[in-house]
Amino acid sequence: MSNDVWALAEINNGKLANISLQLTTKAAELAAAFGGSAAAVALGTNTQAAAQELGACGAKTVYASEGEVYNQYLTQPHAETLATLIQQHQPRLVLWGGTNYGRDVAARVAARLGLSIEYNVGEVAVEGDGIVMTVPAFGGAQSVKMQFTGEGTKLLGARQNAFPTSRGGGTPQVEQVHAPAVPAKGAKVSGPFGTEGAEEAGHLGKAPDGHDIWMPAASRAKLEEAQVIVSGGRGLGGPQGFQQIEDLAAALGASVGASRAAVDAGWIPYAHQVGQTGKTVKPTVYIACGISGAVQHKAGMGTSSLIIAINKDKDAPIFQFCDLGIVADLNVVVPQLTAAVKRRKGQ
Amino acid sequence: MNIVACIKETPSTTAEKSFGPDMRLERRKEDAIPNPFDEYTIEEALRQQEKHAGSTVTILCMGPATATDTLRKALAMGGDRAVLVSDSALAGSDAIGTARVLAAALQKIGFDLALFGSAAADAYGGVVPSATAEFLGLPLLSYASKLDLSGDSTARIQRAAEIGYNEAEAPLPALVSVVKSINEPRYPSMKGIMASKKKPLDTFSLADLGLDPSSVGGAAARERAISSEKVSTQRKGEMYQGNEGAADRVVAFLIEQKVL
Ligand SMILES: Cc1cc2nc3c(=O)[nH]c(=O)nc-3n(C[C@H](O)[C@H](O)[C@H](O)COP(=O)(O)OP(=O)(O)OC[C@H]3O[C@@H](n4cnc5c(N)ncnc54)[C@H](O)[C@@H]3O)c2cc1C
Ligand SMILES: Nc1ncnc2c1ncn2[C@@H]1O[C@H](COP(=O)(O)O)[C@@H](O)[C@H]1O
Repeated sequence: MSNDVWALAEINNGKLANISLQLTTKAAELAAAFGGSAAAVALGTNTQAAAQELGACGAKTVYASEGEVYNQYLTQPHAETLATLIQQHQPRLVLWGGTNYGRDVAARVAARLGLSIEYNVGEVAVEGDGIVMTVPAFGGAQSVKMQFTGEGTKLLGARQNAFPTSRGGGTPQVEQVHAPAVPAKGAKVSGPFGTEGAEEAGHLGKAPDGHDIWMPAASRAKLEEAQVIVSGGRGLGGPQGFQQIEDLAAALGASVGASRAAVDAGWIPYAHQVGQTGKTVKPTVYIACGISGAVQHKAGMGTSSLIIAINKDKDAPIFQFCDLGIVADLNVVVPQLTAAVKRRKGQ
Repeated sequence: MNIVACIKETPSTTAEKSFGPDMRLERRKEDAIPNPFDEYTIEEALRQQEKHAGSTVTILCMGPATATDTLRKALAMGGDRAVLVSDSALAGSDAIGTARVLAAALQKIGFDLALFGSAAADAYGGVVPSATAEFLGLPLLSYASKLDLSGDSTARIQRAAEIGYNEAEAPLPALVSVVKSINEPRYPSMKGIMASKKKPLDTFSLADLGLDPSSVGGAAARERAISSEKVSTQRKGEMYQGNEGAADRVVAFLIEQKVL
């Protein structure tokens, strides 16, 4: 086994996902600690452009494989290529991201090659010859330190936004890898992703009942990657309440989140839900408006760097885990806050 | 059509949880419930059965011997029978070990459609469905927000991607993992609860599945927990009362924190 550390990049619709840069930055750091070299694996389309970005984050080598097969089939071709590369080069660690893509590919590779796999890792420390990973348990109520055992390459699944991105690298060496054949029993992509130009236009795609979902203007940054999130709950009183949240988010350049109660009431699409059964977010600032702070909500936002809560009930549980708690009526405070932020920014 | 719904037993969200000296979760029988996400798994199995006359639904769980209670809770929603895979050698299984066992059990049961949740509410692993598909050499249609089995030979899903949706299809037999937006799980009726007590529930051991104990369970787990601690949320916890001046306090805070 080598001392190299790899990152599995993720390309969606020809676009490199941010998590790829976070993983590559971390891979470069760990490779340096082990005296190895960092590489990234980029599968799909536009891999050349992706390789340059991955190189900038510290990948010395990028294993790039181009082919329509990657867009036409879910996961199987990706797992096939990654498994083959791992067998050929025996890296010490492969970092993958806790996205739908990352989970599906890494799980197949672990099963196929019999490798150790860990997921939802938030921190990695090099200790002696090995690594110690910190993983949240029970919705973040406990944190567990984990180690890999056994031989062979280890597959380390990182939470989104667990690692920062830094661009201290250079131009990578790109190694072209053949794309595999179409899988015999494959899960084939049969319909387009959203509609054309979906991402730019803020089109979220089709809801299960067939209607189109559009992201509110302020929330185009993916929730998981947003630095500032303004979130609304049942305290908004109705769908029109989200207009205030959107206005504040627009002024701050933030994304819009929601509690399950607001989603279940149909005030905002599920894509905005934060919590145990929604998204896990880790912004610099999370502003919760009219959200009580149930454990299931906390599970998705409890590790935000700063939490500001606006709630009229001084006993709301959210005040137990916030940095700034405002006991007031959001209908008064939120519009005033939007105006004050705009003034400050000279808007 | 043979439909199997794979469900995991998890501690309930509100239960007090702790690790034992062996760093394994201390499971208390009374706190165990079906993984909340697997209510959608079961519901989808039942809806497909309703659409495809003559289908059977089997609920499959790998867990401790006491997980029969969890399976009865699941059977109260519906389904024809349950299978529990339980063996002392299975304690301490990791996700890949679990997938190996589920793959063997699915093969023994025989299936056209195997349904999974996208993740379990204990550790949010979400790797078991894909690993099971790999062991079986079969396609996985993951993160389905809609499932259609028209023609009985192909499964078509609407797939919830990181943002947006697309469509995917695979020939049966196939595995499908579902997301919460796929359906609204039913509540067990009184009649369902009574009926669940009489439904067949088989237990398979590792020997029944022809699996070598050293290839699964704690013996094959390749990750080890070394310590755990309660997360202390050290927050500033500053409070401000009243509408008057609240907005200004928030702006000042954002400036202090260099966010504005
Ligand atoms: C298995 C399971 C999974 C779940 N997953 C999630 C999840 O992923 N995400 C999630 O969020 N929840 C989840 N929940 C639900 C969770 O338990 C709570 O029910 C939910 O988070 C409550 O949402 P809320 O805070 O908006 O509503 P409430 O608890 O009703 O709180 C509304 C708050 O608004 C305040 N308020 C009202 N009017 C005003 C006003 N004018 N000004 C200021 N404040 C006001 C009230 O004081 C109150 O505190 C889950 C539950 C279960 C059982
Ligand atoms: N022990 C188990 N028995 C049956 N199904 C399981 C088990 N573990 C995981 N699963 C299935 O795999 C899904 C994802 O679980 P996990 O990968 O543990 O997050 C669950 O929703 C179940 O459908």
